[in-house]
Amino acid sequence: MKSLSMPRDSNLTGGGIFFGFLGRHTIRFFEHVGTYAGLVWWMLRNIRNARTYSRTFFPQMVQIGNDSIPIVMFVSMFVGMVTAVQSAYQLNVWIPRSVVGGLVIKSVSLELVPLLSALVLAGKVGATITAEIGSMRVTEQIEALEAMGYDSVSYLVTPRVLAGTLMFPILIIFGDLLAVLGGLFGAVIVAHVPSGPFIAGLKGSFSTLDIVFGLAKAVTFGFAITSIGCYEGYYVKGGAADVGRATMATVIDTCLTVVVLDFVLASVFLS
Amino acid sequence: MIVIRNIRKSFEGHTVLRGVSLDVRDGETLVILGESGCGKTVLLKMIIGLLKPDNGSITVDGSDVVSMSYKDLQKLRFDFGLLFQSAALFDSLTVGENIALALRRTKGLSEQEIGEHVRNALDLVRLERVEQEMPSQLSGGMRKRVGLARAIAPNPRYLLYDEPTTGLDMTTADEISLLIKDLRAKLGVTSIVVTHDLHSAFVVGDRFAILGGGVTLFAGTRHEIEQSPDERVQKYLASSLST
Repeated sequence: MKSLSMPRDSNLTGGGIFFGFLGRHTIRFFEHVGTYAGLVWWMLRNIRNARTYSRTFFPQMVQIGNDSIPIVMFVSMFVGMVTAVQSAYQLNVWIPRSVVGGLVIKSVSLELVPLLSALVLAGKVGATITAEIGSMRVTEQIEALEAMGYDSVSYLVTPRVLAGTLMFPILIIFGDLLAVLGGLFGAVIVAHVPSGPFIAGLKGSFSTLDIVFGLAKAVTFGFAITSIGCYEGYYVKGGAADVGRATMATVIDTCLTVVVLDFVLASVFLS
Repeated sequence: MIVIRNIRKSFEGHTVLRGVSLDVRDGETLVILGESGCGKTVLLKMIIGLLKPDNGSITVDGSDVVSMSYKDLQKLRFDFGLLFQSAALFDSLTVGENIALALRRTKGLSEQEIGEHVRNALDLVRLERVEQEMPSQLSGGMRKRVGLARAIAPNPRYLLYDEPTTGLDMTTADEISLLIKDLRAKLGVTSIVVTHDLHSAFVVGDRFAILGGGVTLFAGTRHEIEQSPDERVQKYLASSLST
């Protein structure tokens, strides 16, 4: 009888343990995806219910958007400077210095600013959302909303996801501008590229399509980060320690999702 | 009137309720007693559809809560006010905003009217000058009062109290019990109070139901409960009065 109470894996060989582990985690992954899809579907289905979230929407735009401007500007400026310095370093003497400007504008608008800003905001915005909603869950505040006749998804999730989806592109516009200025500073002051050729290269390589693609990425990342943050917080069970675990899960999940989406979007639109 | 019939509920294989039946008559205060973990709060949450039973039926004024759509449940909840054990105040909102939130779900109230309702609700629970305070600045008893003000502000037909005196010192617990009794007299609402505090129960209740082993052990008046020949009931009373 004693062997019956032992863990299931104890009778398995190495391969069995591996496939058992893989199977359990695969099932758990699809359970998460299904629940997440259900939450997003519920949110979209009730998005017309603006009366429920109208009061919380603008504060969320401020918290997610305005409050993130300094960190996005800081990161973008240094991204621009590093891109300019490294581009200048890699070019040999036969290549015109104006190429540095072209490399900066292409790199920052297409990839670096949207991706790195999203990774930073995954931590800042995503984790904040999970901690807020998760704390509300474990202190019965979400049940209190439901008990008052509110749709808690419309009240908590919809304004955050809408605010994130709308504000991320605006943040990226700020980021692109700061990255170009940072690139100019890095190129001229550090790499000694004259400003004339740098700006000429910048203008020559500027493409509205690149900017639009960068903004489309920002919309996608904004939606993904805020909706995953809401999902992790909304389904917290337990206490404060579980809110902490959910917050960490948000940071990991959003970072992984952002890099995967980055590849998917590039493959679909740029290949 | 609320009619509860043969309610069963399990959580991850652990059966909490094995067939609870109860009637809550219009205008009365029914106190549901029982030891911690006997499923009192679960039952309370089922009445407004926050939890679904595995079996059984709950009807509120003839409408079946268990099979109700989410939209209908939301409408039904307009008729209820619920005081949570922890008060469950929204910690990012002021006291005034907490109460106003309960009022904003009803269409047609101007901001001025909402402000008046907030002040009236705070007067009823005997709180003054706390509208601009954050919940974190309040004591446990004050938080319960604000939770109560939030529950009564929209003039519900039913008031549900989940352990209203738990976690409070004896003086504050007595104050809350008297407040519940006073509110019932002023508002005339039907109330269900879930508690394991027998002293408070006898202050606020008209009728009493004791849950134990997942079923209703007893339902009746204080006199009937004290005269009950059921050993389990007498054992519960003796253990509760000794604590």
